[in-house]
Formats: sequence, structure tokens, C-alpha cells
Amino acid sequence: MERIIARFVAELRKSGIRVSPGESLDAVQALALAGMEGRRSSRQLLRLTLVKNVNDFPVFNEVFNRFFSRFKTENRDLDISDLMDAAIISMEGEFNYLDQLPGDDHEPGPLLKLDSDINPEDLQDLKSLTEIDPDDTDGNEIVVQMKGYRGKAKAPRPTRRYTQNPLTIELNKSSGSGQSITFTPEEQAAMQDVVSRMMLRLRKDMRRMKNDQNRGKLHVIRTIQKNYRNDMVPFQVALRRKRRQKPRLVVLCDVSFSVSHASRFMLLLLHTLHNQLLDVRSFIFNREVAEITEMLANMPVNDLMESIDKGDIVDLDENSSYGQVFLNFKKRYLENLRGRPAFIILGDARNNYDEANDWVLDELREKARFMLWLTPEERETWNRGDCLMETYGSYCDKVEVVKTVDDLSLVVEDLLRDIYADQAHPLDRKRLREAKAEENYDYHDYYTRGAGGGSQPAFDPGGRSHW
Amino acid sequence: MISEQGVKDFLQSGGYIADDAIATAVFLALHMEKPILIEGPPGVGKTGLAKALSSALDFPLVRLQCYEGIDEGKALYDWEYGKQLLYTQLLRTQLDNYLSVSADLREAVERLSAEESLFFSKNFLVQRPILRSFLSEKRSLLLIDEIDRSDDEFEALLLECLSDFQVSIPELGVIEAKRKPLTILTSNGTRMISDALRRRCLYLYIGYPELEREVAIVRVKFPDLCEELAHRMVEFLRKARELNLRKPPSVSETLDWAQVLSILKATQLTPEVVANTVGVIAKHQTDLQKVTDLAIQELS
Repeated sequence: MERIIARFVAELRKSGIRVSPGESLDAVQALALAGMEGRRSSRQLLRLTLVKNVNDFPVFNEVFNRFFSRFKTENRDLDISDLMDAAIISMEGEFNYLDQLPGDDHEPGPLLKLDSDINPEDLQDLKSLTEIDPDDTDGNEIVVQMKGYRGKAKAPRPTRRYTQNPLTIELNKSSGSGQSITFTPEEQAAMQDVVSRMMLRLRKDMRRMKNDQNRGKLHVIRTIQKNYRNDMVPFQVALRRKRRQKPRLVVLCDVSFSVSHASRFMLLLLHTLHNQLLDVRSFIFNREVAEITEMLANMPVNDLMESIDKGDIVDLDENSSYGQVFLNFKKRYLENLRGRPAFIILGDARNNYDEANDWVLDELREKARFMLWLTPEERETWNRGDCLMETYGSYCDKVEVVKTVDDLSLVVEDLLRDIYADQAHPLDRKRLREAKAEENYDYHDYYTRGAGGGSQPAFDPGGRSHW
Repeated sequence: MISEQGVKDFLQSGGYIADDAIATAVFLALHMEKPILIEGPPGVGKTGLAKALSSALDFPLVRLQCYEGIDEGKALYDWEYGKQLLYTQLLRTQLDNYLSVSADLREAVERLSAEESLFFSKNFLVQRPILRSFLSEKRSLLLIDEIDRSDDEFEALLLECLSDFQVSIPELGVIEAKRKPLTILTSNGTRMISDALRRRCLYLYIGYPELEREVAIVRVKFPDLCEELAHRMVEFLRKARELNLRKPPSVSETLDWAQVLSILKATQLTPEVVANTVGVIAKHQTDLQKVTDLAIQELS
């Protein structure tokens, strides 16, 4: 029986469920305690001991059915509840037989020997067919693919001068049909997961920092209160805590057709981030610019996406004009932005040959702590057609190519870390930056993934990128 | 040795209707002496299971409610500083006599430190829930409620307690549990519990119950409610759960509603009855409207 469990656990691990040796021991113990009365109860026992997350239940069920249905064909005449017993008996029989052959127990293949007319190669083929996802080697990694989508009622709207930028076409093709504007629960859950992992990483560093920050001035009253029971001998010291500032973010997100596949996820990321730790103000634009901070906080994200897509908030039938948008933004919002926020602009900088108005960005820079431009386009296409990426990019601290949600969350995390580091004690700042360097090492394919080929922007955490 | 069916039966006698998964988990936890980690939406009877178990098995219930910032001083043990100080004050004369025999300061310190363990003994130890349940003479039921509200550090602190059922106190050494308590941890899933903790527990997910089980739960708690009505209200609530509400009605809402209906002596489920009592089921303004709409659509 131990062997069967061990094989079953191996199968589970292959499907991406993490099972520790201790847990498999538990499973064996549980089966011995409760006995194996039938398929249902055995499944319950195994699930109780081996799977520790609800989200893994479907995978477990699938593996369980696949694994134990192998024996079904062998014993058609037996009913299901006996199948496991039958399998165990047949397998243990095999092992007894193997034990008698010295030196033949490196790779016991009892399942293959069950019926002799199947050779191992055949079974290998069969197994690979039933495997759920062969390239999903790390089961816990969640990959949310950015997909292009078509606006619900509208056909792709080609620009007259420039039929369509090649990249968008590619994305639209690969995405296939049936794309909807709203998010599926899986996508939302995946985003939740990405964000919570990001928060966990960040929070760990922040807490370490906060503890150290307590080495500020002595809080006399609290110290006395705290040591009242020690006869006022200050064994325990209470220190004043510095007030921690929430990092401020201002996000400008292009929702025009050409980048909608990326902005869609940016909006979801913002929505998920919103209440977690940030003071975010979010704007969307096409030709006009509108603030959606309140809506992000109060509306279900799918409703918001639909009303954006319908053009209720900004008119989507116009051509996007960055120059116009920057000008309007400066007029209407720039004066009442508090603090020194970090700016994130998401867009492809395709200005449809309008006035560039790039001097506005210079003013934004003065207000901003940091300016980051995220573009879904490859670097090679930055000069083509009406793209003003080079012009605008020179005003920004950093320009990044983001294509997947993971890219996006990494970039945002980097940014937050930078913001925190700016406020931190100099010693912590150094440590935080070191932590970041380590992180970059871990995700060493991060800069190559987004900007394929040898054309990545040089990463320069301190200053501007050079091109 | 209690069988799985036995577990089901005695839980039922305690007023808790368990399904197979719950019975199996309890059975295993009793015999393998491993904690159970229960996850599930709020109000499906996670804490209720612990309470029912404690009354059915006659294990004293020791409850530890977790919150952000809970630490070992609140969960495991603490030293009674006040008492220690008081004792040194009261025993001053004895101490003086005891130390006056010594020739010099060095000897006095040595004599005193020989008696140090007096002041760090169990006399001055305040037992907090976990230690209390470990030291209880009778096998107890330790309920660590809403573990997801505590921080990572506290979770790490629990690891030793849950895997070996022991508490290390630097001044006293390792204290082992006299009787290993039946331990139940609950979580609402607002935060991911670490894998290390999950590994040490059996994992039980309690979702919304099936129709029959939920009706049975209502019938057990409110025997005077007629079966027809119980059936209809449970069916209605199951539909309401699919409405994508902000706070879907849970089993606890079902029970509240059943109580309200039995107080009002309702015999029929009509849209008016639902409209009058909707506050029991839906807990958000937007949800209220959705539920009343559903009632008009389904029941008229």
C-alpha cells in the first residue's frame, strides 16, 4: 500500500500539487486507521491528508480518477469498491515476486508488468497523452496571458494612414475569438494572487524597515506606562514611531483600441491594489481625460470595464491624442495633486500626428517623484508611424515594455520599493536596494522577456534610461 | 475507538449534522492526534463544529481568538511580573537573613542565583489558552479561531505547538502536553496560510451544504418549523447564493431566517414574507434589492 501511495503522490507532484513526505506518511497512517471501504471514502482520506488548498481539489480529483482508473479495465467483473483492494493485491504480489530476484529492484515497474503484452514504450505514450499540461512544470506559477480583445460591437478601427501597427494585429490574431471585455473569475483570482504575493514580498521588507525606524526618540509617557509594573524601572522602552506615509501614485491609462488589451489588466491591477496600501489616483484617456478613482473603489470591476468600453466615460471613437490629453490633464488636475506622487503612464504614445505638447511632461516631472512609462510595444516599432515614444520617453525616469501581468506586477513592485526606499532611513535604503538587486537576479529573464532581442533599455535604477 | 459513523452520530446528538468529509476528518484527527485546519466561507459552521465536538465529546473547550498583533504573551504564556515583585518585597526579611550568612558579595550573588529558579517557576506563570489546553488534566479541545487574522510571526510560533504539542519556555525548558488536545484551526481565507502550517494539519474545506443536509440542519435546530417550509426556504437561499451577492447568505443566515420565520409563525414563503424579512438574509444594500427581486421572480 505504501508503494501505491508513493506513486500516487508522485503523480500529484507531477500535476503541480506540493506534497511533503510527512503528508504521504499521514495518508498511509490514515488509510491504515480508517480502512479502505470504497472509492469515495479512500478519496476523502487521501484528500484530507494530501491536499491543503481548495484550489487544488479539482486537480486532485482528476489525478485520482486517472490514477485509479488504470485498474478498472483489468477487473471488469469487480465492483468499484473492490478495485483498490484488487490493485493492491496484484501490486503487492508483484513486489513479492520482485523481492525474490536480487538486483532487479532499481526501477520496479509493477504497473507495466500487470499485463505483459503492453511494453513500456506504449504506456509512456499513453501517459503523455493523459498528462494535463506537460509544460506546466511549476504548478503554482500563475500565468495570466494578456489577450487582445475586440470591443464588443466595434470592428477594429484602422487608422487611415497606418493600417494597423503590426504588433496589435499579431496580438489580435493570437487571442482568437470569444474575447469579452469583462474579467473571468479565474483572471480575477489570478490577479488577486499576483498582487497578494507582491504585497507579501513588499510587506516583509517594509516591516523590517518599520521595526528599525522605531529607533527614534524615547516616548516618555508610554515608557512609564509600560513599566509601571516593574516599579518604574524602564526595562521595556517605548520609542516614538515615525508616521509612515502611504506612497502616492497617479496612473494615466490609455484606453484607446490599440492598447486596450494591456490597459485592461492595468485597470484590474489598480482595482486590486486600490485598498491594499496605496493612495492611487487613476485616470483614463483617449482624446479626453477622466478620473476614475472613485469608480475603481466603489464599482464592481466588470461593470466599470463595460462602461469604459461603451464609451460612457471617455469617447472611444475619437483618435487618441496624447498632446491634447497632457494639456487637459495639466489644466484640470495638476494643481490639486497632493504630495509628490509617482506617475505611471500606460500607453503606446501613438499620437495620430497631433501636437506633441511634450513640454507638459516637463512640468509633470517637476511635480513627480518618479515617472514611469509602460508601453506594450516592442522597442523596434517606437520610431514607426505616429509613435512619439522617443520624444516622451526622454522625459521619463524609466520606460518599460510590459506584456504580461507578471511583468506588470514586477514593474509596479519595483516602483513601490523605490518609493518606500526614498522615504526610508539611509541605512534601510541601502538594504532595500540590495534586496531589489537580489530580486532582479531571481527574475533574471525579466528584462529580456518583455523586450525580446538585444534591444532592452539599459536599466539604471538611480537615474534615467539612456537610449 | 469511535468509528466514522460513530462520529457522525455523536455530532448529531450535539446538534451538528456532519457530512462524510467532516466525519472522516474528525475521526482522523481524534486518532492521529493531528490538528484540523478548516477553511470555508463565513457562517458555514466551522466554529460550530468545534463547539459541537466539545459538548459531544465532553472535552473542555479552550478558545483562542486570533487578531492582528497577537503574540506569545497572549497565546502561550506570560510571566506575572506584579506577583514576582510582590513576593520579593514580602520576602525581603527572609532574603536578608538568607544572604547575611555569606561572607562577601560574590558568595551572596551565588547564593541568590542558586534560588533564582524560585522566581521563574510555574507559580509565576500565567497560562494562556494554548498552554492551558496542553496542561489540562482532561483531554481538551483547542480552538484557534480565525487564524488568518494573525500575522506570519504568530503562525510560525504555532508550528512548534502544533507539530509536537509542546511549548518551549526559556526559563523553564520544554513543557509537553499532558494530553494532546484535539486542535481545530479555522480560517476564512482572507490571507493565505503558510504551507508549513498547512503541512502539519489535516485540511478540511467546508462549503455550503447540500440541500438535504441544510434542510436537516434547519430541522434539528427548529423542529417546530414545518418541513415543507424548511425545504422551500433552503431552496430559495440556494438560488440566492448564485446571485453573485456581496455577502452570500450562509448557513448561519439560514438558521437566523428559520428562527425569524418560526417566530412570525409563517406557513408560506411569499414575496411579501421575504420582503419583510430580507434583512436577515442580505447584509448589503445592493444585495437587498437583488434578493427581493429574486423572491418576486421565483415565488409569485
